[in-house]
Amino acid sequence: MTAAGGGDVRVVITGLGLITPLGDTAAAVGAALGEGRTSIAASADLPEVGESRIADFEATRYANVRGMRLYNRTTSLGLCAAKLALTDAGLEGGASLPAGGPGLGLVVGSTYAHLDTLIEYDRSLVAAGIQQTNPALMPLAIASAPGAAIAMAFSAKAFAVTLASEGASGLDALGMGMRLVAAGRADACLVVGAFAACRELSLSSARAGQLAPAGEVRVLDARHRGRAFGEAGAAVVLERADVARARGAVVKGILSGQGSVFAPAGTRREDALRRACEEALQAAGRSSRDLAFVSSGANALPRTDEVEARALHALLAGGAPGSGEPGPGNPGSGAPADSVPVTAVKAGLGDLVDASGVVQVVLALDSLARRMIPPVAGLEQPALSGLRYATAPTAVSGAAALVTGTSDVGSCSAIVVEQL
Amino acid sequence: MGRRVAVTGCGVVSAAGNDLDGFWQTLLGGVTRIKGLEGFSYADLPDLKGAEADLDGGPVDDLPPEFDDDARRARCARLGLGAARRAAAHAGLGGDREALARTGVVVGTTLGEERQIGYLSERWKEAGPDAVEPSLVVRAGNHRLTSVIADELGLGGPALLNATACSSGNAAVAWGYDLVASGAADAMLVGGADTLTRLTYCGFYRMSALSKTVCRPFDKSRDGVSFGEGAGFLVLEELESARRRGARVLAEVAGFGLSNDVNHITAPHPDGDGVKRAILQALGTSGTSLDAVDYVSAHGTGTQLNDQGEVRALKAAFGERALRIPVSSIKSMIGHTNGAAGAIEAVACTLAIVHQAIPPTATLVEPDPEFGLDFVPGQGRAARVETCLNLSSGFGGSNVCTVFRRGA
Repeated sequence: MTAAGGGDVRVVITGLGLITPLGDTAAAVGAALGEGRTSIAASADLPEVGESRIADFEATRYANVRGMRLYNRTTSLGLCAAKLALTDAGLEGGASLPAGGPGLGLVVGSTYAHLDTLIEYDRSLVAAGIQQTNPALMPLAIASAPGAAIAMAFSAKAFAVTLASEGASGLDALGMGMRLVAAGRADACLVVGAFAACRELSLSSARAGQLAPAGEVRVLDARHRGRAFGEAGAAVVLERADVARARGAVVKGILSGQGSVFAPAGTRREDALRRACEEALQAAGRSSRDLAFVSSGANALPRTDEVEARALHALLAGGAPGSGEPGPGNPGSGAPADSVPVTAVKAGLGDLVDASGVVQVVLALDSLARRMIPPVAGLEQPALSGLRYATAPTAVSGAAALVTGTSDVGSCSAIVVEQL
Repeated sequence: MGRRVAVTGCGVVSAAGNDLDGFWQTLLGGVTRIKGLEGFSYADLPDLKGAEADLDGGPVDDLPPEFDDDARRARCARLGLGAARRAAAHAGLGGDREALARTGVVVGTTLGEERQIGYLSERWKEAGPDAVEPSLVVRAGNHRLTSVIADELGLGGPALLNATACSSGNAAVAWGYDLVASGAADAMLVGGADTLTRLTYCGFYRMSALSKTVCRPFDKSRDGVSFGEGAGFLVLEELESARRRGARVLAEVAGFGLSNDVNHITAPHPDGDGVKRAILQALGTSGTSLDAVDYVSAHGTGTQLNDQGEVRALKAAFGERALRIPVSSIKSMIGHTNGAAGAIEAVACTLAIVHQAIPPTATLVEPDPEFGLDFVPGQGRAARVETCLNLSSGFGGSNVCTVFRRGA
């Protein structure tokens, strides 16, 4: 893609940062998922449900910035992942960005990153009164605060935006980052997704029947009965291809198209997700036949899994899928052997909610490089047939992957990621 | 940027009224609606002042029955939905399901559903963890402010919840413009909503940034913010498409600029460096010359630091011409509505173009002698308004400048 001025305005990824319970590099996490490992275990706080928690997360191992002791776990995860991505891109300190340009931008996908700080601050107002509160917490208790903290830490002077659309947050953030970078509104843009469920969110979700016991979190499986919250920080650095090339950056991948739509009440979410996928593919100049694989946002909630499976079936195979054919060893029932394989990393990492999209993109790049996708851990009896689910490490060919995600209220997003 | 973007509808719910004519007349008349609060209180801060919206009641301000059983808790969503319905009706948006499927929504908010957490805190004091309801996981997410609008109006385009603190509403205008101009959506309903919360009053009180009386933006005696509540929405459409369907073009959004101060989590840059960069980017990307700007709708909160930084930014961006551009803050009348502010002010910018008049800084008595700009004190005035800028800033240093232009 060439701009009127002659530059290559494709948006490329030049830095990756990832912190998950299965490791803090894409290669480590990709390898663990490839072995079918899962980090989902019984929750320490709510033993009746599963969770995927980073046992030994120490923010100061990754970054040490002013004010960090006040930041909650989600903000710290995002900030640390951002640091890793900037270092990977050779942009730590912003030294390689053009002088006089707009500088570094930041888009954060975050619906809940401020929540535990808000709860802590407001609860102290009610319990102890205004004079007993920590005034430094108030500005950290609003939805934009995690983004503000990360922007200040890394001098993101071009812009700092936070988008909230639950499981679609990360992909929506990547889409906005793409547009702003392509338009030249930043020399480089960090896109960050972070999630760590606070106690109240876990309690509420458990009481709503959304969380399944450890060992029973089965993504896309007929026996799915609920998700497990995971936690992660993930970040990528986006740049225009010509800008990245000019500074000698190593290009890790291309974001070539993104689609974001909503399924209003009375319409089918699977239709909306399919439309988001089609928009992403169209923007990328690709068709579903070009895809090496799909990284699905399926999360073991029956409704989400059904939306994902039906949308992908309509996109990849046309028409509606059938009911699953129960039985081990028959995971891809009805799908041609040469059809596009589908994986879902939440089976191993838990539902990363706001972090999901960026984590999926980082891992998709690792899979494209390895030409191998990890299995959907624990998938034995697909709830819906007709898709080629990866139930073992699966070799893939092709340079493009489709990443999908949806929110609990109807936002549907998809992005195409490619190797250069 | 490719396609031209028209404003074809506006809706507002605020202390200055919920219909556009009433809202505009209140603004032009310089009537401040900041007074003792009736519908919101916090025991530790008696005699709170602010600007409360007076919802009309009836269907236009009702939440869907499944949405909430407590209108007080869900007041932010109620304000937002009310303004969005009004904007959609004003634009004649609806009926064409195919068009609605290509129409999206962006909502900006600072506090959003904070009252849901406030309710939890109060119950927690008595019940501890038993206070956590199964519905909290849904209620605590601000993204529901977006989905309630998209669900109600049948919008199938991008549905984004934007949080850039108190520039959120103006940022929503920028994102909507970007999506329509780039062809990613044919139309966007954009705006912001926020209500009065314990968090903002207490936080600003502890920072000594809460006005003891009425906020006086740009005044020598300004002593801080007066909060308000409300929502503002605009319908943005691709210009030619709007014309084809016979919509009235109220104004055009011509572009936007963004920046971040990277200075302090609450304090703006003292010299307004970020605001200046946002202004210059907005002018540059929209092809607007310095001389073309007829009016600036300022962020103008009435705090020492905001007003100082903003004025310095205007002087740095416009040079000598800054002294001749009318600049005003409608927060002097409807208070600081946080994430809604930039959107309500975008509605005011649109109306300034429609009515060829400028709303005032109503409570300004004695301008800060350092400033020296034309702040339109007291009452509004008739003026030529072909092009105006809408400035917003927020915690964390997030600045947004949008450019509004008279429709060709």
